[in-house]
Amino acid sequence: MIDLRGVSKTVTSGTEPLTILHPLTLEIPRGQFVAIVGPSGSGKSTLLGLIAGLDSPSAGSVLIDGVDITRLGEDALAKLRGEKIGFVFQFFHLIPSLTAHENVAVPMEIAGVRDAGARARALLEEVGLTERGHHYPSQLSGGEQQRVALARALANDPPIVLADEPTGNLDSTNGRHIMDLLRNIHRTRGATLVLVTHDAGLAAEADARIVLRDGRVVEHAAAQVTR
Amino acid sequence: MRFVLRMALRETRASWRRLLFFFICIAVGVAAIVTLRSVIQSVRGAFANEARTLISADVLVSTIRDWVPATREMIERRLSEAGVTERTDTLETPTMVRPTDASRLVVRMVELRAVGPEFPLYGTVGLETGTYAHSLLEHQGVLVKPELLTALSVKVGDQITIGKAVFTIRGVITSEPGRRVGDFSLGPGVLIDFADMPATGLLGFGSRLRRVMLIRIPEERVAPLVEQLRRDLKDEFVNVRSFRATDDEIGKDFDRAENYLSLVGLVIVILGGIAVSSVTRVFVLQKMRSIAVLKCVGAGSRQIISVYLLQVLTLGLAGSLLGVVMAIGAVAAIPIALRDSAPLLKDVAYGVTWSAGAQGIGVGVLVSLLFSVVPLLQIRFVKPSLLLRDEAVRTGRDMTRIAAAIAVAAALVALTAWQAASLRVGLVVCAGFCGLAIALQLTGQALVRAIAPLSNSRSFPLRHAVLHLSRPGSQTRVVLLAVGLGAFFIVGVRSLQASLLEEFSIQSNPGAPDMFLMDIQRGQADPLREFLRDPAHGAGAFQLIPVLRARITGISGREIQLDSFEDVRARGSLAREYTVTYRDHLEANERIVAGTFWDGPSAEPEISVEQGIHDRFQINVGDVVRFDMLGRIVSAKVTSIREVDFRDARNGGFMFVFRPGTLEQSPQTFIAPLKGPETIEARARMQHDLVLAFPNVSVIDFREILKTVRDVMSKVTLAISVVGGLVLLSGALILIGAVAMTKFQRVYEAAVFKTLGANTRTIARMLLLEYGVLGLLAGLVGSLGAVGLTWGVSHFALDIPWRLFAGEHVGGVAATGLLVAAIGVLSSLDVLRHKPLATLRAE
Repeated sequence: MIDLRGVSKTVTSGTEPLTILHPLTLEIPRGQFVAIVGPSGSGKSTLLGLIAGLDSPSAGSVLIDGVDITRLGEDALAKLRGEKIGFVFQFFHLIPSLTAHENVAVPMEIAGVRDAGARARALLEEVGLTERGHHYPSQLSGGEQQRVALARALANDPPIVLADEPTGNLDSTNGRHIMDLLRNIHRTRGATLVLVTHDAGLAAEADARIVLRDGRVVEHAAAQVTR
Repeated sequence: MRFVLRMALRETRASWRRLLFFFICIAVGVAAIVTLRSVIQSVRGAFANEARTLISADVLVSTIRDWVPATREMIERRLSEAGVTERTDTLETPTMVRPTDASRLVVRMVELRAVGPEFPLYGTVGLETGTYAHSLLEHQGVLVKPELLTALSVKVGDQITIGKAVFTIRGVITSEPGRRVGDFSLGPGVLIDFADMPATGLLGFGSRLRRVMLIRIPEERVAPLVEQLRRDLKDEFVNVRSFRATDDEIGKDFDRAENYLSLVGLVIVILGGIAVSSVTRVFVLQKMRSIAVLKCVGAGSRQIISVYLLQVLTLGLAGSLLGVVMAIGAVAAIPIALRDSAPLLKDVAYGVTWSAGAQGIGVGVLVSLLFSVVPLLQIRFVKPSLLLRDEAVRTGRDMTRIAAAIAVAAALVALTAWQAASLRVGLVVCAGFCGLAIALQLTGQALVRAIAPLSNSRSFPLRHAVLHLSRPGSQTRVVLLAVGLGAFFIVGVRSLQASLLEEFSIQSNPGAPDMFLMDIQRGQADPLREFLRDPAHGAGAFQLIPVLRARITGISGREIQLDSFEDVRARGSLAREYTVTYRDHLEANERIVAGTFWDGPSAEPEISVEQGIHDRFQINVGDVVRFDMLGRIVSAKVTSIREVDFRDARNGGFMFVFRPGTLEQSPQTFIAPLKGPETIEARARMQHDLVLAFPNVSVIDFREILKTVRDVMSKVTLAISVVGGLVLLSGALILIGAVAMTKFQRVYEAAVFKTLGANTRTIARMLLLEYGVLGLLAGLVGSLGAVGLTWGVSHFALDIPWRLFAGEHVGGVAATGLLVAAIGVLSSLDVLRHKPLATLRAE
């Protein structure tokens, strides 16, 4: 379960403090599919980053399965991410010096999984890239790169998958393909899926919908949100 | 661990091309270390096996005076008590030789050695043809070094005159026991029979004869005998040494040579290390997103740092192994290079030794690791949130990095101390290198700042070329340091050479003496004056200066007693044997700084003391100095202190000058500085006639010495220029590496410029100007450093006036500019070739 308690984020813009996420308390039950929507700059990606422990909040705490991750050091956070969270970025963020297969295998190798290679091949097969495993990111199309990123996010079979506008940088065909894969993952693996998107249609498919504007939750449906 | 290993391999696979040149730089340094150490170790091994041959005896007793009968008797007694199995006497002296055929107008100074039938006790005299036997020398036979045949245009079977005697050349020496390779010599070696020595007339008073007794004795008795003789002879001017002492001395010389020379390689490796440090910093900057991704998928900072450290280790090891391979090639080429040199050097079995190889690899890997640790610590501050929004990586004070930098500095001092086998040398070299690097860096920065206004130039390519030099991560500083250091070595050494040659050049003062006659006996003084005054011989101005040998045994009122040889040793140079003279005038290069100079003869002994001796040993006006002049004790009062300009000491730079009136009747010889004839032929004829008329007189021709000095200096300059060349090569490699490292940025910029309308020629001009300016700056850094070096060395070490050789500096700066421009443009050809659309799409 994901539990956010009074979480806010303030950064310094020039010399002025700028609050990009106002205090927010939120619970996302295990196995739920939550969509976070809102215009650009509303704090969607920041919220997702805070859930993933990629960023630390200015105030409040983030609990993943009861563990307050804001109290963890960098390395413990990295370990937790490796075990529990899969992250898909809008800009893929594959490691350019590694092949598709290696990019998928890396999280498993970090976690010390023995058959990382075989499992990476299986995951690539799952996203339909069996033949592209030996290609480098620069040799893949945007859609293919995002599918590799998705396979990487699933590498350690995480209970939580966070996706930051995964279709935002893709054409509609590839976008649909990625969403099909994400839906499938949610359905078949029972993973909690938190999806940041601009697409109202996609958001409508979620179990719960959180709408952000100027760093505040302005609307929610189904999910239990407290302002 | 498996992740670290795999990632390191993958990262190495992806980036080895970009990092290659930096590690070739490490390879060059490692190759220098391994080659120098291996060669010296190989030669040392050969010398150690030949220790006895080197002095041709187990024990050697020598003196530069006549044997005192009582001393000789005592030595004989000790030798017979010790059970000496074999012994022989030799005589050594520099002297003049000429072809006996009077029509050949050549003479040559040689190092004559007269030996008995037992010589050599160890080893053998190597001859070009046939084998050595003493019978070759008997009845006025002579064996000569090949250089003499060339110098005198004579051949085996011809006759040469040594002193007053005629000798027949019976063979050509290729190696001679007891003459050390690299020993200073006044001329080629010549071997005659001991029995023929009296016939030469060179045993007379005043000759610079060294009498040597070679002794063979069972090994276990060497040390006691040497100890006993030293005890017995402590009050005599007799030197006793064993082959072991020679072995130890040579061992120490080799150790010193090996350790100090390999510092040259270490400096190159460290230069590579600085480049590795700089490139690692850029590498981390370029890898920030990948590092953030790794952190995002679960990797900790320590794991990621380990990945890159392992990568550096792999490349450092590969570079070091390449260095060893290069060293194997270089060492294999040495026997070919030494084809014509001394047999001992030629016959050494050269090969890369295990210890040299291991040291080279150790140094290469350690330097790579040490220099990459601090920049890699930056990885700790790369946050995975970087993937969500662009944010600067934290900089500022970081105690871990400061502590790591201090630990690295200490490790480098330890590494240098290990290589030099001395902590003091390690500290001095590190401090010196640091100081030099900082000075060159500051100069570089000042120059970059000085040209900053050019970034407002109307010329588009020039404006951007200058801007590029101060772009973040542009590697300008490291290229300036590395290339500047190379230029510094080369320009500095060439300027010093030019400065020294100018100082030695006698052409700058056409009237000054350029020939020097020695060992003129008292009876020869007047005939020699006649000879030199004879216009047929073409000699110019000359003077005959009486010289006597004297040793200080005490100074009145100062409680200094220098009566024993032990005291002499303890007192150092004050009690060495001095050559003194007497005269009633000051020379042009002398000035009185205290007291008054006499104006006529006096029966009371008086002396004038040179200022340096006065300063060092506190001998003042009014002191009485006691001299031992070949047994006669003379106590002379100091009446003046003289400043002597030793740069113009061709009329004699005497430490002690006596007032006329007391030494005229003492045993003495004369020396004569003179202005020799102008042409080479006339000089040869005069020397020839002189040696014919005065066989015992030695002639030193300053012009020949100048030639020798030039020769020696060009060899030294060549050696140091090779070092400078290697440093410059490292600089070039670092430059190529820097270009490769930042090429993606160039390609992108060029694509943008092309899109905005710049043509290939404009971009080529930008590159040419950027690297040309960078090269000129590096050349200027080197040149300014060289000005500092030559000034410092001229002022403090050589005590000669500092001169600026504009040609060397302008040439150095221009050559560096051209070299860097050429390398920079050639390694950036890709930037010109890329199509803009493909590049922009890839971004």
